[in-house]
Amino acid sequence: MEDMENKDHSMLDVNDAADEQSSGTVPNNNTASLTKSFSEMNVDEANEIEPQLMVGRQRSRSTLIFDDEDEIPPYADHHEHISDSDNESTVSSSTSESGSSTMDPAKDEQLVDQAAMEVSGGNVANDRMVDPQQQQQQSSSKQSSGNVMVPVDIIWQQGGTKAYVTGSFTGWRKMIGLVPLPGKPSVLHVKLQLPPGTHKFRFIVDNELRFSDYLPTATDQMGNFVNYLEVVAPPAAPQLGQTQNEINDQQWNDEQMGLPAQDRDTATYPSATRKTPMSARSRIAFEIEQEPDDMGGGYTRFHDETPSKPSLVFTRDIPAVFTDPAVMEQYYLTLDQQQNNHQNMAWLTPPQLPPHLENVILNSYSSLQGESNENNSGALPIPNHVILNHLATSSIKHNTLCVASIVRYKQKYATQILYAPLQ
Amino acid sequence: MENQDISQTTNEKIFVEQKLAVESIRTFLNSKTSYDVLPVSYRLIVMDTALLVKKSLNVLLQNNIVSAPLWDSQTSKFAGLLTSSDFINVIQYYFSNPDKFELVDKLQLNGLKDIERIIGVEPLDTASIHPSRPLFEACLKMMGSRSRRIPLIDQDEETHREIVVSVLTQYRILKFVALNCRETNFLKRPIGELGIITENDVKRCQMTTPVIDAIQLLSSNGIASIPIVDDNGVLLNVYEAIDVLGLIKGGIYNDLSLSVGEALMRRSDDFEGVYTCTKNDKLSTIMDNIRKARVHRFIVVDDAGKLTGVLSLDDILRYILLGEK
Repeated sequence: MEDMENKDHSMLDVNDAADEQSSGTVPNNNTASLTKSFSEMNVDEANEIEPQLMVGRQRSRSTLIFDDEDEIPPYADHHEHISDSDNESTVSSSTSESGSSTMDPAKDEQLVDQAAMEVSGGNVANDRMVDPQQQQQQSSSKQSSGNVMVPVDIIWQQGGTKAYVTGSFTGWRKMIGLVPLPGKPSVLHVKLQLPPGTHKFRFIVDNELRFSDYLPTATDQMGNFVNYLEVVAPPAAPQLGQTQNEINDQQWNDEQMGLPAQDRDTATYPSATRKTPMSARSRIAFEIEQEPDDMGGGYTRFHDETPSKPSLVFTRDIPAVFTDPAVMEQYYLTLDQQQNNHQNMAWLTPPQLPPHLENVILNSYSSLQGESNENNSGALPIPNHVILNHLATSSIKHNTLCVASIVRYKQKYATQILYAPLQ
Repeated sequence: MENQDISQTTNEKIFVEQKLAVESIRTFLNSKTSYDVLPVSYRLIVMDTALLVKKSLNVLLQNNIVSAPLWDSQTSKFAGLLTSSDFINVIQYYFSNPDKFELVDKLQLNGLKDIERIIGVEPLDTASIHPSRPLFEACLKMMGSRSRRIPLIDQDEETHREIVVSVLTQYRILKFVALNCRETNFLKRPIGELGIITENDVKRCQMTTPVIDAIQLLSSNGIASIPIVDDNGVLLNVYEAIDVLGLIKGGIYNDLSLSVGEALMRRSDDFEGVYTCTKNDKLSTIMDNIRKARVHRFIVVDDAGKLTGVLSLDDILRYILLGEK
């Protein structure tokens, strides 16, 4: 019965979403081979994409050298105001520099994460479907184009002397202090760099939890009244005509990606001097790096961001793997052997749906509801905007059709589910 | 003498504090719109009026909801709310016309109006409000409705067709107030003083009462629950209008000879339980409970556990919006 109910919630799936999902939730030890196989695949494919990315990176690396420390990194801003409600107060350093160095492990992970994202595309996201909470938190940064951060000025103008802001961008743990606006001592503000996506937050003004009347409001899943902002990534600016802000952004991106310039080279190659602890994902990535480059069958590994890498050129030749059926078969057979799980030849079948459409927020509703039956306002996770205005449907049961669509209603998202008889 | 003075001034202080707190909550409800309190992302379940009534019951139960807005796809218009009272009407109709089983089985949601007319109950309200109206106004309109909820209806800018945006319920509003208005801590006067408890002629039944009698009591009095008491008037349980949904689950309308006690056995396991309070409890405590649990009414008992009255969400909301009776 429980199962049936769950299935009824699962929109968009027709039959195969369950299978697809289970394929997404491969055990962790398979992730290595997954990622690996994807990086192989890009031996041929990446030529078209990578050069541009490289240009972007090289360029931003050079801007990093001119980093004059004026830019305020997010969350590290006004470090002296940050009070860590957690006990991990080792970060409570006075300078932002040492603050960012303690954050390095996390950044490293992000760096590798991002590399993996570029290589394997949506499938990394698929892996994450295991944990919707985590997915939700990450989606704000991951759904966006890379690591673009947007400067956001958060203003408090309803009195009080000491104001902090806390929100989804700090996991509701840290409080970031606001400072008076120059010339307007009654108005407090803080400038944050936030990844695109929807951010919810509240203010703590003189030890009282408040929300601003000048910003959009909503109730969160628990029913608390919060302010929220939808941060939109700026359109990609041409390389030359960048505004100062955007350059700063990019500088910050580099910081976000971790690593002072001179450390970069050592980071891409694992070295014995590396002391920071690695996450599972970083480890996998480094393991891949350590594999021999010659993959056999005439294929060599694609190296992302190798300094000594020969410069890539565009080509009009279609790689043999796409034209010669024999090569293709050999290629997929190798993939299959490497993957070594139940889905034989799964690589040959194109996905039923674009991967982002498989992650339907309605499907996560039932589990959310199980945790708190007080969720009577029907709050859902914030949808990725690419799934808006799609029509989702469940399988027809008892002659009843159930369709759903997520639409924008002003600044909010309404997921309307319509039950209608089949006539 | 001095002690009296002190208690006198404390009482006055409490009185003034409560008055200010209520006014502050009203200001708050006036300053926010219904749109403001919607979650950033939320779901809304709508049913086509061509859907069979028995199917609609399954949809409600499956989604763990007790009400849903209806949509007329012929006219592209909002067609009212489906609530437990509709099912009560069907039960009553079937009880008095047992030969019409065929009709009940094939009844569509748009046929509910005919049932209403035949059994002579008031037609269900189709009141609605625009999401950008103040919350206070939405609450007022909600109080006037029998369904204890108000649909938020807007118009599509291009097609000018209606959009069902969401439905606000009394519980949702009160929980919102309890969670987000610090002022509820100052509501310290005993509820017995406020004259908001329904004490006269409280409808009640016993475990052995036939469930159809209880259902008729619900319907004829326009109430959402009936306390169940023993021979001495001690509160045992409550029969709620939404229990009717579980009773006729699976389309069985012929089990109506059950007693109330037997009917309660069909309640789902996640039943919240019955919340009681006494006249001396404060509204701040009541709001605390609303914040923590899905309470829809408090049964007022005396020290011996005997039923003395009912405090519904409607009563609480009315007090907050309009003051004492």
